[in-house]
Amino acid sequence: MLIVQLIFNGLQTGALYALIAAGFSLIFGMTRIFHAAHGATFTIAGYAFFEMYSVAHLGWPIAALTAIAAAAIFGMMLDRWVYAIIQRHEGSFFTVFAASFGVAIVVQNLIAMAFGRGLVTISTPLSKSIELAPGLFVAPMLAIVLVCAVICFALLQYLLTRTNLGIALRALGENPTLIEVYGLTPRKISQFAFLIGSILVVPAAILTATTSGLNPSMSHHVMLISLAATIVGGVGSLRGAALAGMLLGMAENLCLAVIDPQWSEAVTFVILFLFILFRPGGVYGRAIAT
Amino acid sequence: MSTTEILLQIKGLNKNFGGLQAISDVTLDLPAGVITTLVGPNGAGKTTLFNLITGHLVPTTGSVHWLGAQINGIEPWKIARMGIARTFQDLRLFNQMTVEENIMTVMERGSWIWQSGQEKNTARIDQILTETGLIDKRKERAVDLAYAERKFLSLARIMASQAKLWLLDEPASGLDPRSFEKFVALLRQYAAKGITICIIEHNLDIVIQLSDRVAFLDQGKLLAQGSSQDILKDPHLAAIYFGDHA
Amino acid sequence: MIAYLQNIAVLFCVNGILALTLNFIMGYAGIYSLAHTIFFGIGAYTAAYLALNVTDSLPISMLAAFSLSAVVSMALALPALRVRGEYFVAASLGLQVIGVTIFAEWKSVTGGLGGMIGIPRPKLFGYVFNDDTAFLILSVVVLLAVLGILSLLVRGSFGRSLMAIRDSESAAQAYGKHVNAVKTLSVAISSGLAAIAGVLYTFYMSFINVEGFTLETSILLMAMVIIGGTGTLLGPVAGAALLMTLPAALTYLPFLPPGELGAIQQIVYGAAMVLLMIFRPGGLVGGRSKEKSA
Repeated sequence: MLIVQLIFNGLQTGALYALIAAGFSLIFGMTRIFHAAHGATFTIAGYAFFEMYSVAHLGWPIAALTAIAAAAIFGMMLDRWVYAIIQRHEGSFFTVFAASFGVAIVVQNLIAMAFGRGLVTISTPLSKSIELAPGLFVAPMLAIVLVCAVICFALLQYLLTRTNLGIALRALGENPTLIEVYGLTPRKISQFAFLIGSILVVPAAILTATTSGLNPSMSHHVMLISLAATIVGGVGSLRGAALAGMLLGMAENLCLAVIDPQWSEAVTFVILFLFILFRPGGVYGRAIAT
Repeated sequence: MSTTEILLQIKGLNKNFGGLQAISDVTLDLPAGVITTLVGPNGAGKTTLFNLITGHLVPTTGSVHWLGAQINGIEPWKIARMGIARTFQDLRLFNQMTVEENIMTVMERGSWIWQSGQEKNTARIDQILTETGLIDKRKERAVDLAYAERKFLSLARIMASQAKLWLLDEPASGLDPRSFEKFVALLRQYAAKGITICIIEHNLDIVIQLSDRVAFLDQGKLLAQGSSQDILKDPHLAAIYFGDHA
Repeated sequence: MIAYLQNIAVLFCVNGILALTLNFIMGYAGIYSLAHTIFFGIGAYTAAYLALNVTDSLPISMLAAFSLSAVVSMALALPALRVRGEYFVAASLGLQVIGVTIFAEWKSVTGGLGGMIGIPRPKLFGYVFNDDTAFLILSVVVLLAVLGILSLLVRGSFGRSLMAIRDSESAAQAYGKHVNAVKTLSVAISSGLAAIAGVLYTFYMSFINVEGFTLETSILLMAMVIIGGTGTLLGPVAGAALLMTLPAALTYLPFLPPGELGAIQQIVYGAAMVLLMIFRPGGLVGGRSKEKSA
């Protein structure tokens, strides 16, 4: 039974990771910006929801909308006021990465000052586990998580393959000058990439808040997962990032059957390390030029 | 210096990229002291051929011989140390380093900390800087140089490398007439010393002025090689070059 | 007061060495490592283990720490040879996480979460560094030695090879640079010297545990290098000095809530990183242009 329980847990974690990773992968694959503040977007969305729902008691629709707005504005402003300026000067990978990092540190600490460093949870009736079978506890939230993830990915798929904007977004990563053909500018496309990529983490943030809870330093873990899944799945492949996110979530939970919990984070990184050494292109990715 | 001494031999070279035949059965000799130009339409495989010689790419079949020994399959840095040097179409200068440092580091191939023969090196650096007209810019960072100066720095690097074979990828494109003449003079000077030079070039004027021999590449195949007169007068090749075929 | 200043001075020397060595691979080799603290830790734990179980000899500790760290750094060098930039950052992050877990779980060697205590002061040619002032002098000497070694390397042909590889790896190869050997050597030197800092740290603190070698520490080191300026020798030292005086400086500002000083400190250097990258990517010492040659 333990294995089955772990599988269910893995599904839940995996679905959340898939959403997070897809957001990062979209931004990175399409703008080539190492958005180290993606974890901060997640934290902002989560705490915004918490503030609106649990503290101000404004009901979950308003809370969700607030979270979406907060995430979107944060991502887009970062792109416009920080990344764009740096890229105009000399935009080396490192400069962008360092700035992104700096933002992440500032956000993490501001949130810690405002909400405290402890775990903050939101309990809803859907969070309570039901004993489906002897020894098997599943919360209805799992179903919501999975449905949410599927809907999000379906919408994303539609956006990217059926709309002009989506096709342009995919072109941006390959060849920025092609964008002008669609009457758009690389700047505008970049903004859209950040908009969509940032919004993608919101469901994951809300769901995490209602299941395992939030704390300010979770942005680290979110970043680590985003990075690992994007690389393992293959840079430029959203499908890859999502699948890798699911894989990592499952692995993180399943390995608990054989090793201590302290090592579960290390497992993620052993997987990442092995891919970087032997298959940096990831599962779906393009060949990497070193 | 015997002008018939063949330094580089390419025999039946083939390169296949997962279905795309980039180089198809190319056989070519590069003799000492001769400037050979590689021409052909875009995508003909000229740069790929260079990459196959320098070891940046490994041939699917066929072989490359340098001074009699087979070199395909050897790592690029080892091939470089054997005396083959190249420039890149996009220059790839060591941008954050100064002009002087760009040249010094090429001369310092194997050593780690201490340099033997310091004085000889310094004199040679000065000579190269003077020949390429960069002597006043020696402390400037490569990224801050003007276009023509960057082209000359690329040449300076190869001059410093003491290589016997120079593979130049569009070295003179975009140069103003005066710089171009200086460039040509330098190449002729070094060819006269016995350096083998192979140039990829699109500009036909450059080809005419510079080349002793021309090799015409199209879709990975070596269609013809000979003196520049012969090749450039051939109407069939001209048609291919200017894209009259499907 | 003197004791307080001496304390800061020793820690400044330790952090200075860490920042210098991190900058060696970041600014000069273009290898962005988030795992630098692990090598600091390896040095620290090696010295602690030796001092408690085998010998309190300073030279032996330093030699052992340097060697072990250099060997383990091959785990970092391997991905550095295969991938660049973002991919490498991810790999180094992985190494950092795995390293911390090992430090925390390998109880028999590292003392686990509790760490190791009661580490004696080291001995050099019969002299034991019990006096804090003597230890400070030792730290300064080691810092200057590291500065000297790195300066020699950077200003010479090795430094030029490193920078050539950083600026264009394919061109460096085309001109005869044995890229793999140079990169591996630079990682080994950087990690080995970071371990030396760990030795100093252990002997000074007489107590170490995993808290000193976490991702937070790696991030702080990176901030020191970035703020001070990559690609210059003294930049990281300035960065170390600045970030070390920051906590003390903040305590003098009366309007700041004392419980939040740690967070405020991080906000300050986080903000500094962002602003610097926008306006002055070369860091405080480096200036507007990034990565000036030494």
